[in-house]
Amino acid sequence: MNTRRAARPGWSCLGSAANYIVLGICALIALYPFWYVIVSSLSSSRAITAGEVSLWPVEINVEAYKRLFEDGQLFLAMRNTVVVTVIGTLFNMAFTILAAYPLSRKRLMGRNALLMLITFTMLFVTGVIPNFILIKSLGLMDSYWALWLPSLISTYNMFVMKTFMEGLPEEIEESAAIDGAGDWRILLRIILPLCKPIIAALSLFYAVGWWNSYFSVMLYITKSSLQTLTLKLYQMIQQVDQSLLNSFSGSEGVTQVLLTPEAIKAAAIVIAVAPILVVYPFLQKHFVKGVLIGSVKG
Amino acid sequence: MNGNRTGKGPGRMPPASRGGGPPAGVARLAGGSPGAARTGASRSVIRSRLKRDRHLYLMLLPVLAFYLAFKYAPMAGEIIAFKDYRLGDGILGSKWVGFDHFQSLFASIDFWRVLRNTLLLNLYSLVFGFPVPIILALMLNEVRKEGFKRTVQNLLYLPHFISWVVLGGIFVAMLSPSTGIVNWLLSNVFGIEPIYFMADSSWWPVAYTVSGIWRDAGWGTILYLAAMGAIDPQLYEAAKIDGANKLRQIWHITLPGIRSTIAILLVLRMGQMMDVGLEQTLVLQNPSVLDVADVISTYVYRVGLLNMNYSYTTALGLFQSVIGLILVLGVNRLTRLFGERGLW
Repeated sequence: MNTRRAARPGWSCLGSAANYIVLGICALIALYPFWYVIVSSLSSSRAITAGEVSLWPVEINVEAYKRLFEDGQLFLAMRNTVVVTVIGTLFNMAFTILAAYPLSRKRLMGRNALLMLITFTMLFVTGVIPNFILIKSLGLMDSYWALWLPSLISTYNMFVMKTFMEGLPEEIEESAAIDGAGDWRILLRIILPLCKPIIAALSLFYAVGWWNSYFSVMLYITKSSLQTLTLKLYQMIQQVDQSLLNSFSGSEGVTQVLLTPEAIKAAAIVIAVAPILVVYPFLQKHFVKGVLIGSVKG
Repeated sequence: MNGNRTGKGPGRMPPASRGGGPPAGVARLAGGSPGAARTGASRSVIRSRLKRDRHLYLMLLPVLAFYLAFKYAPMAGEIIAFKDYRLGDGILGSKWVGFDHFQSLFASIDFWRVLRNTLLLNLYSLVFGFPVPIILALMLNEVRKEGFKRTVQNLLYLPHFISWVVLGGIFVAMLSPSTGIVNWLLSNVFGIEPIYFMADSSWWPVAYTVSGIWRDAGWGTILYLAAMGAIDPQLYEAAKIDGANKLRQIWHITLPGIRSTIAILLVLRMGQMMDVGLEQTLVLQNPSVLDVADVISTYVYRVGLLNMNYSYTTALGLFQSVIGLILVLGVNRLTRLFGERGLW
């Protein structure tokens, strides 16, 4: 017994050191790609093309950023993304609450039937084309309503919120009802303030979704004045990737150019990611909470 | 449905009278509400409850409108899979063709190719991707330094919040044969010829799977860590006294403790076998690897929307949805057979 106990701390120390090191490496692997684009965006095109960029910027310059900012379209795209994200998230939250609160009241007649109706839309996923035809026939093409209306409620998020509301103590609500408060007042004055953590988490999920979305924008928005950042980025990356795939054969031609598409792409990626990286540390605790509430019963 | 929750008019009953058995509750409701005469009691009960909750129904009105207009209407739109849909004629005006589109679908090489790719890419992600968050969570769970743990977690979650456009862009850039860091390492450190990861049919699925793991493995640890946090610490104490080392503790306590979480997540994952993320695939794929990278969703997009073969690809989408629905229902039944709670 004694010898065993003496032997073990050494081993467990080694094991836990290895554990720390491996986890540290994993964290760096998760982070490195972001570092890599930041570093590339600040390096000279020559260094990128020659493959000299790895850990630190080589021949620092901000040409790529200058070029992007001179091109006013980027600002426009950024503004569009902000509009889509902010208004989209507000719509999402309003409708999610409007659905979750009544459905969280067990006394509501027809509740089970409504829940079944809604759950079925989660199980049967409609194809892209019927959706596309619907949007087209509603005349919503080239308007942000084509993005907002079809995704007013994420059913999964709605269920998360409903579960949270069901967990609130009923007595608070009942005493408010005795004091003469109606359903709207109970919702706005009592339920919503208690829902702050879940509202924060879901707003975050919705907002990140809007910020990152590109496929629906690609489908429904064709006017370039309405395009969002991710879509612009997507088109840029597609172009660059085509040239990268072919770049092996004609690499001497590429080095002649002052600014490679590769550098511009890196800078554009940095601009698109920066807002998320900035707010990310502040929101960490909210999203973990959101996931955990959702896992109780989805 | 809920007999023990009675209501008097628009207000709600006081807490004291809660919890009566269903029969008593119904009786009290029928007798209690002033408008309810003995005759036709149930109808007036319904009416009074509708009236009491009218504001709740009012709230649900726009919600229902949303589900009908943007969820159920497209479902009805799936009937164009059985018609020759043309924009000018509209859905109702187009000609019925029965199962013609399905027949030509099952007869086409493309269908079997995209079906195979969809299933294969899903299988790779399942086999190689599913265990990764479990392993990461086990490792994180052993970390005692709170600050280190939180930092690592935050870095691991980060890629989940970034658009596939951006992640894909970064990923492709890093794998580029001429300028990417991966090939730079391969050639300068190991002396290997550059590999065209994204343009080579045998490497592309690897890159696809790895990119998926990179984005979501860290995110996937959240639920496992929560499950591990719920394990009774006394079990570990007892095991320590019995002389179990860390690995044995993980094997005999932690893993059994998160078994039901693993089962549920595995089941959820199985239900998605027919669906490969459209955004991820679109960003990563390129014409030179379409033989392995073309999946149902990208095929529907390309052939259906870009080439306007609406009916034909709707048939494909409907096939995908129906199989997906069967998978989810079947897998849920299976979990319940195994004694787990299931998804509903």
